[in-house]
Amino acid sequence: MNPHFEKIAQYIKTHCQADDYTLNINLSDSHETRFAQNRVTQHIAGANMEIGLEVAFEGKTGSCSVNQSDEASLAYLLKTAQDIARLNRPDPEFMPSLGAQQLPEVQNSDPATRNLEPAKMVEIVQDSIDRAKAFGAAVSGMTEKHYTERFMATKHGFTGYDDGTEFGHSMTLKKDEVETKVSYEAKDFAGFDLEREFAQLLSQAESLKTMKDFDPCQIAVILRPSALEELLWFMGWMMNRRQSDEGFTPFTGQLGQPFFGEKFTWRSTLLQPNLKASPFDREGVVSRELSWVENGVLKNMPTNRFWAKEKNAEALSVFNVHIHGGQATEEEMMALVPRGLIINRFWYIRTVDAKAGELTGMTRDGVLYFENGKVQNAVNNLRFNEIPHLATRRILALGPERLASAYSSIPTMLIDGFTFVDKTTF
Amino acid sequence: MKYLDLAMNAAQSLGAEYADIRVQKTTDQVIYLQNLSLKNTSTDVLYGYGIRVFKDGAWGFAHSNVFSDEEVLATVKRAAGIAALSASVNKDRKLRLAPERSYIAKYETPMQIDPFSLPMKDKVELMLEVNRTMLAYEGIRRAMFYLIMHKDEKLFASTLGTRLELNTGWIDPMIIATAVHEGDSQSRTFDEGGRSVGWEWIESLNLTDKAKQIAEEALIKVKADTLGPEERRSLVLDPNHLGLTMHESVGHPTELDRVLGWEADFAGISFATPEKLGNYQYGSPLINFVGDNTLAEGLATAGFDDDGVPGQKWHIIKDGILSEYGSTRDTAPEIGLGYSRGCNRATYYYDQPINRIPNLYLLPGTKELTPGELIADTEDGVYIQGRGSFSIDQHRVNFQFGGDFFWEIKNGKLARPLKKVIYKSCNPEFWNSCDAICDQRFWRPFGVVNCGKGQPGQSARMTHGAAPARFRNIRVGGSK
Repeated sequence: MNPHFEKIAQYIKTHCQADDYTLNINLSDSHETRFAQNRVTQHIAGANMEIGLEVAFEGKTGSCSVNQSDEASLAYLLKTAQDIARLNRPDPEFMPSLGAQQLPEVQNSDPATRNLEPAKMVEIVQDSIDRAKAFGAAVSGMTEKHYTERFMATKHGFTGYDDGTEFGHSMTLKKDEVETKVSYEAKDFAGFDLEREFAQLLSQAESLKTMKDFDPCQIAVILRPSALEELLWFMGWMMNRRQSDEGFTPFTGQLGQPFFGEKFTWRSTLLQPNLKASPFDREGVVSRELSWVENGVLKNMPTNRFWAKEKNAEALSVFNVHIHGGQATEEEMMALVPRGLIINRFWYIRTVDAKAGELTGMTRDGVLYFENGKVQNAVNNLRFNEIPHLATRRILALGPERLASAYSSIPTMLIDGFTFVDKTTF
Repeated sequence: MKYLDLAMNAAQSLGAEYADIRVQKTTDQVIYLQNLSLKNTSTDVLYGYGIRVFKDGAWGFAHSNVFSDEEVLATVKRAAGIAALSASVNKDRKLRLAPERSYIAKYETPMQIDPFSLPMKDKVELMLEVNRTMLAYEGIRRAMFYLIMHKDEKLFASTLGTRLELNTGWIDPMIIATAVHEGDSQSRTFDEGGRSVGWEWIESLNLTDKAKQIAEEALIKVKADTLGPEERRSLVLDPNHLGLTMHESVGHPTELDRVLGWEADFAGISFATPEKLGNYQYGSPLINFVGDNTLAEGLATAGFDDDGVPGQKWHIIKDGILSEYGSTRDTAPEIGLGYSRGCNRATYYYDQPINRIPNLYLLPGTKELTPGELIADTEDGVYIQGRGSFSIDQHRVNFQFGGDFFWEIKNGKLARPLKKVIYKSCNPEFWNSCDAICDQRFWRPFGVVNCGKGQPGQSARMTHGAAPARFRNIRVGGSK
């Protein structure tokens, strides 16, 4: 525990006049080396601390945040939050803060990653550029490391602390008309292997060399984990208990129903040591093993404390994404359908129809066409308009799970009849 | 402030070819009211400084929120140290900075009523009234009012001798009514975007009347027909809608850093490459886009950018031809420009400035034309108001947009309301299909306060503007 946080908490505890308060402190210390077209274009280093306080007088709430912790700043923080609350109207949905909770033990931080030297990070950048040059290409990306600490305390006795690290290295390679990307993001640096990442990048670039024009249609897709992750985050944002109960999402009235395909299971878990997991959410709700979708059945939806009280339900939050996988390789998936596309990533996903759950977006960083069990050629990028929960009903096969980001473990997925509606010129 | 000179002297003593310091205090007051429940009522302050050191063809940027001589000097040293590390990578292809002179200046957003000076209670009372107005309509299930008031107090100094004091601010009110009817749910939004003005703007908006209008239109929309299969039709687009269209399909593709491939890993590159300058038919001859960081009430109007370059006005597209980019001191030399257009901006003190869209607007038509006359002249089409879904590929070519409110046009008349309309097009097909733009009387500005870009991500603001315009033969249809 950061002793500085305890001093701030003590100050608030001593001086706060409100009936209730919740104190949040977030500290971050980051180093980010951004490179593009074989040179460094941005290089950032520094720490920041945000201190947020929400207070309440008889259900009238006010909040303030500052990023400095001297006594004058803390006095401003307290006075501003209290002044807002006193002038405010009571919030009919006000919930008193939580008391002490038994929090799960998680290990989100890696000391070696925290102490990674800038010179080492620039060495990785230089190595990436040298490898790209040797291939006659240009590489763009970012090497970054982050250390974060999070502290939460309430008037009623909740105290929570979590610290974490993340290391990331992304590379977008451009050679002639071929553009493709790989990225590594995890809570520790130890699992990073530039040679392996670059080999994957070159393999993708080689496979994209022969490009043929392809028209939009409904076709089977093999979604690699980075593509699937983007799609599922967007779908997940719509999956909210209150919004669904009030009629704004496709999940209205679907709790407990086989709303997804039976091959689709999505959990949040504390049991995967490589997956980051915050022990508590922004309301202090304790993280626990959770099934959101179990073999296609919608088991739970994120629910805040107010709505949980209204519905006599349990407050729940998504704290990471664990999609169950299988054993199928991409080769085996290609053999299961006559023809299809392999998608590396999606880009610019947006909601088209929130009630239907329809999303749009583009492919990027490489699309491959396969037929008769073999990759035939690369194709131009395509636009999809698709409803992801319906797409899960057309899952034909699942590959092994792998880390798509520090918070998500996701398999490759073969989905039949994915809807593409437009294409672009590259 | 003594730290400005301290930092610049220290940077020079460490061999900086150029350095600057930006001391920035950002204050946001946010009120978020939903169904008469205050979800957030807060004041948020971020205060600190960022120091850039340019040395041997590379940048180092370090930031801190601790104000002391020791910390300022340590931050300069840190920036210089990582600049040297960057330079070790760039030794064969050094960055260069476009020349710029020094300025000693002060700029302040003109405001009659400082929105921070009004009691919180008055603002909340107005918002509650607006919320109640919407909820009074049967079928409106969610009434939302999001209000943000923002100010930046900035001191800037550079080793060129520039000393700036820049105090800017803006307000952004957004109201949404959501209706539920027979298994569907539709929202209608009042969202002019932010504007660099005082509270007097909010008073002039008659928000209670706006609340009635959007509640009624949300109810019309949820019961409206869908359009059916995609066909080629005419589109008449209102200025608010066009603000987002031009942002995505003209603003981002003409950021010079994107053109150079500096955004390749995240936000993508641009099809509008330098060999097209002066000869590429981006739009029809009616299309004139102006970058203007001097625009009154514009969100990117701040006197100077974060390179210390003054606000300017220039053509990005002239008579349909790609004319110039939005540039910064470190991107301009890459295409042989001897000056920056002053588009380098950071969000917070801890952000390194990046190439940003300026205030960018479509000039109105030069012949007298009202929106009514434009619709009367349209046989078969759709009129789209407001912003909806938007998505464009990472070269900024292929796009799909929705909208917030739709009318079918038949034989020169608004025939029936519609919902779930989307259209698909691409650069340059879309802008070349423009055959009519209403005149100056109907030109209106709209702000964007949340333009996301960069790694690490930053959120910038700028103003767009247009008069209603018509686009022929566009693929328009209903979503699923």
